[in-house]
Amino acid sequence: MKKFLSVLLTVVLLASFAAVAGAEEKTTITVWCWDPAFNIYAMNEAAKVYAQINPDVEIEVIEVASNDCETRQTAAFISGQMDDLPDIVLMQDNSGQKFLSTYPGMYYDLTDKIDYSNFADFKVNYFVSEGRNYAVPFDNGCAAMFIRTDILEEAGYTLADVTDITWSRFIEIGKDVKEKTGVPILTCEMGLADFLMMIPQSAGTWYFDEEGNPNIAGNEVLKATLETIKQMADAGIVYEAVDWAEYISTLNTGKAASTIQGCWILGSVVLAEDQAGKWGVTNIPRLDNIEGATNYSNQGGSSWLVLANSENAEIAADFLNQTFAGSTEFYQTILKSSGAIATYLPAAEGEAYAAPHEFFGGQAVFADIMEFSAQIPKVELRLYNYEARDALRDALQAYRDGGDLDSLMQEAQDTVEFLMME
Amino acid sequence: MSQIRIRRGKLRPARVAKYAFLVLASFLSAFPFYWMLVSATNSNQAIMEMRMFPGANLIENWKTLTAGYALGTAFLNSLRNATVTTVCALFISSLAGYGFVVYRDKYKNLVMSLLMLSMMVPAAATLIPMFRMFSRMGLNNSLLGVMLPSVATAFLIFMFRQGTQSFPDAIIQAARIDGLGELRIFLQMYMPIMKPTYAAAATVTFMNAWNAYLWPLVILQSPDQITMPMLISNTMNVYVVDYGMVMLAVSICTIPTLVLFFALQRSFVEGILGSVK
Repeated sequence: MKKFLSVLLTVVLLASFAAVAGAEEKTTITVWCWDPAFNIYAMNEAAKVYAQINPDVEIEVIEVASNDCETRQTAAFISGQMDDLPDIVLMQDNSGQKFLSTYPGMYYDLTDKIDYSNFADFKVNYFVSEGRNYAVPFDNGCAAMFIRTDILEEAGYTLADVTDITWSRFIEIGKDVKEKTGVPILTCEMGLADFLMMIPQSAGTWYFDEEGNPNIAGNEVLKATLETIKQMADAGIVYEAVDWAEYISTLNTGKAASTIQGCWILGSVVLAEDQAGKWGVTNIPRLDNIEGATNYSNQGGSSWLVLANSENAEIAADFLNQTFAGSTEFYQTILKSSGAIATYLPAAEGEAYAAPHEFFGGQAVFADIMEFSAQIPKVELRLYNYEARDALRDALQAYRDGGDLDSLMQEAQDTVEFLMME
Repeated sequence: MSQIRIRRGKLRPARVAKYAFLVLASFLSAFPFYWMLVSATNSNQAIMEMRMFPGANLIENWKTLTAGYALGTAFLNSLRNATVTTVCALFISSLAGYGFVVYRDKYKNLVMSLLMLSMMVPAAATLIPMFRMFSRMGLNNSLLGVMLPSVATAFLIFMFRQGTQSFPDAIIQAARIDGLGELRIFLQMYMPIMKPTYAAAATVTFMNAWNAYLWPLVILQSPDQITMPMLISNTMNVYVVDYGMVMLAVSICTIPTLVLFFALQRSFVEGILGSVK
């Protein structure tokens, strides 16, 4: 009996060892990202693609809101306790420079792992630090004008009339549309702060110069930006929604004829099924009389990063390279089901991108957006993007209340300089 | 009832204005709550159209919520964290508050002042050092890790100290003469008599623990430890927000604190009065 027991024990022990050894062959890559219908869905699809290539790797996607991702990374980096961090994180493009410059060495260098020529320059640039690349671009934030063609028509205009135009022409048309239909041409969140980021970038200018110093006072493009926004608001052609929920509702209930926003707003626009066929997509207006002004810009978007601390960093990088940075096929799949528009330029050649979109009256909106994406000017984002944006937002408000623009911009410059000194 | 009847004839403008103001104020405070509950039963589209009446989409919202999110896990985790934190915090802090009043010590007022000073330090400032300490002790993703920082708070100790000052010393003396040990005096005499203070402290502590966000977020990183506030944060961080589902999640999140508050309401008011007397 004793002998039998010892044999049994040995067998059990060996079996459990074998089980552990078997389990060890499978590598698990954990990913933090948000939005089940969008990023999480895309990641899971990528996992399916990679399972064909490397069946020994499992991808585990964990839902963490973007602010929460940043809080946890900050806590981990400062305290040096990085055991709980995942292998891959998704990050808002606007946060890129902040994290790369504050926590150098925390992200895995992807420069030689990914072919960056397949991505739009401006997008890659968000995660470049000291000449090295740290992210695989994903979610497209290309700005576009989503506009009700039926309302335009009622006022005697077509989609072509609002394509490749200047802001002054847009305001002109807006006044006419308001007069003939009673509908404000544009809706946005109160304060029009989104335009403070979109318009300067469309002219290839940012709040900082090449050395990273604030470049606000006396900046012609920023001045023109604030003037344009004020003219637009004064013309009474903008519906300013008190919050995000109301903003979306104005789109879906016909309280305004258009929005100028990152292309990801598409998912919310198409929710109003009764408006199918009544929408069109085109590029955004450009600044008047400014050299280098274009009809293209960016608003939001995010990218994938690999953490340097990850034991499986190399596998994680390979995973991203073979999916998000290497599979046109994959991008067709996720576009069809979730409307997740790529920044991987070759994806535009796929059939899903060329397909006409019923909601937009058969317009091939995805191909159009990809075409816009390739033309977005590159700007140098910095550590203090949001601080500078907020200073400009205050300046804009004071300017709209009748303040002197030049001195307000000087004030904004001083504020940002003061914040950067701290 | 009788009071209303007596005063009925005297509808003076000042009175009308007063009641109009009160009605308006209560409407303003109750309306967001009403809208939350109503929205939980409406579809996203209906909410966008500012529908103010109950709809028929509750089951649909429930299905979306439970299909996409680990609602049960988050709810039970939050309930576990908040309950255990509350029980431990009440016991430890009341013991401290009791000690500060009943026992004599040269430095006790100094210690109390230092303790009060700690209330001035914002939680965000201690977050990183605490996270470092706790992860080195291996307390990540554990109940102990999430509750330890809030089991002895200066606020609670202060509250119990103030409450204890109105506790008759004679009872303690009598109990001592009858031969009751110090711990048993606390457990059998003090605790039952101080019920209102406990109720008030329980409501406040439970609510804080239930709503706690920053600390649980960093110390509980494993997905099976997710709490309700984290879950709600996830439901909102999407390109296309389903407000009906979010409102349902938020409504569910308010239930435990609501139940606790109504159950302890009477004692809560007494307890708050007692501690500020």
